Amino acid sequence: MTQISEDELNRIERLSGLSLSEGEREILYTDLARIVPYMERISELDIEDAPDQETASGEDLTDQLEEAGEKSVRSEGAVEIVLREDIAGDSGLSEAILSQAPKSADGMFTVPRTVE
Amino acid sequence: MTSKPHCSSSLSPFLSMNLVELARNIREQKVTSEEIVRKVFQNIDENEYNLHAYLAFWKDEAVEKARACDERIRLFREKNGTSEADNTALPPLLGVPVAIKDNLLYAGKPATCGSKMLENYIPPFAATCVEKLEEAGAVIIGKTNMDEFGMGVSTEHSYFGATSHPMDPKRVPGGSSGGSAAAVAANEALAALGTDTGGSVRQPAAFCGLYGLRPTYGSVSRHGLVAFASSMDQAGPITRSSIDAAVLYNIVTGADEKDQTSVLSPKIDLEVMENYRMEGKRIGIPKQLLAGEGKITISEEVANGLSVFRDFLRENGAVVEEVDMPVLSYAVPVYYILSSAEASSNLSRYDGIRYGFRAEGIEDLRELYTKTRSEGFGLEVKRRILLGNYVLSSEHFEDIYRKAEKARNLIRKAFDDAFERYDLLLSPTSPVTAPEKGEISDDPLTAYTSDLCTVPASLSGIPAISIPVKSCPALRPCAAGGNDEVSGNSPVLPIGIQLMGPRFGEQEILGAARFFEKHVKGGAEDA
Repeated sequence: MTQISEDELNRIERLSGLSLSEGEREILYTDLARIVPYMERISELDIEDAPDQETASGEDLTDQLEEAGEKSVRSEGAVEIVLREDIAGDSGLSEAILSQAPKSADGMFTVPRTVE
Repeated sequence: MTSKPHCSSSLSPFLSMNLVELARNIREQKVTSEEIVRKVFQNIDENEYNLHAYLAFWKDEAVEKARACDERIRLFREKNGTSEADNTALPPLLGVPVAIKDNLLYAGKPATCGSKMLENYIPPFAATCVEKLEEAGAVIIGKTNMDEFGMGVSTEHSYFGATSHPMDPKRVPGGSSGGSAAAVAANEALAALGTDTGGSVRQPAAFCGLYGLRPTYGSVSRHGLVAFASSMDQAGPITRSSIDAAVLYNIVTGADEKDQTSVLSPKIDLEVMENYRMEGKRIGIPKQLLAGEGKITISEEVANGLSVFRDFLRENGAVVEEVDMPVLSYAVPVYYILSSAEASSNLSRYDGIRYGFRAEGIEDLRELYTKTRSEGFGLEVKRRILLGNYVLSSEHFEDIYRKAEKARNLIRKAFDDAFERYDLLLSPTSPVTAPEKGEISDDPLTAYTSDLCTVPASLSGIPAISIPVKSCPALRPCAAGGNDEVSGNSPVLPIGIQLMGPRFGEQEILGAARFFEKHVKGGAEDA
């Protein structure tokens, strides 16, 4: 079983965009030391025969819907995977959206200086 | 002419109706929406201090909306006549007060998700499912408490404080939609929407004696549902009856161009649901969901409730047998690997720049991110983000994350195979009844393993419902007029039984739920 090293915790913390307090580090380190081996139990599992498909295809969905007694769905074509046109438009919400920003100016989000 | 106002107690018959009957009575002006909404707010005034089911509610606005509903009905009837056939042209839930979980956006109302990170966030748009509720005429009265970003099983992980169980303030209402469940159970709303990633609609419904439906993944749009684990997040109803669950489901379901994973799925035919026949149904009980996990074992009351439910099904002509689904022993680790991975990615949007909390005293951009996130997120959310980044990091990606994805496909396949042979699968919703505050949530691994029965449906995208069954001895004795209390001071806590169906099998699981509700008086209907 893998144990998380101090170095590894530091690295994950950085990847997570977090900086933990000493108290939090102690708690989370102890927790992760128990949770990670528990998760690694899945290594026992034989996944040789696992199907690759991660999501059902449109056809699968149509079949399942028909089995569920919905005859009208296929004709409406709702389960076909349809991509809509990517058209830029005005949501009319830019002011409302900017009003939620902690800081904004001249219609833009304000961030600390990024270039020296 | 409107009817005379009712005094508070004469409203009781209306408040015990299902949503279809109540909405009809409002349309027929036998009771006004205003009276119902005021009564719900009276319950809020009386209970909310101890319960803390809500993070926000708006009485004046809700009463105003209720009046507008009543006025709309008056004008409609003046113009179109007063027969029910005419009235059905009005929206189906016109004037009915409903609550929504705080992670479902409602334009102009706070959406904190139980987090300091979004304490002051006011969304400029509404979730599709919330819009649909409004179009159906519901009066949305408030936003309910939840574990921060949906991460928890008890509603104790809310930045704004825990919600209590409506029957026993020392206990938790479940989570993460604990506020929605507590509100409905305490009549602080007549129904609510929750969201379910790993069981967050079903488990609080079970703890609070309510129906909780997790719909087929994709059948309810996720647009405006604040993301936790996008491949599993799904909004669903928490209600007092199976009919209410079906009615709310019919309202919120549908394909939505704003959620590319949404799909047009069949609506529930209420008449077919009412005439559901149990005879000849084949029902499997996955053995692995009875086995317990880690420190969690199935409690005696829950095991008892399950066996009484099983006997009920058999007595009504169903074939019920245990089914071996070995891969389900891995469902909890697979769920926590995948959901934490997705959460770590989804929650990277909280950077202190575009909305939400921003830490003070920032020197540079890196510090803006880390300080904002470290001060804005609670401990459980940090735990999940760290876990997610652990399993996604290059050293563990293949061994853990990829493997979990494959295991998920095996779990899906196991369900597909099982539904070749069975109409429904049955299990407890939660291995235990509502625990005391701190009892489970103080130990994260124990809290995770308590999700054993609910995460398989989440991973597979299949629909599942939690049906309320009172603790023994209430179930069967109640059919003969038994009472709710056992000796001693503790109330008998509700038990939830879960029925799972194949994808788009909502009609089947709701039919079975209704069959039970109708036939076991004092079991579900009075819960």
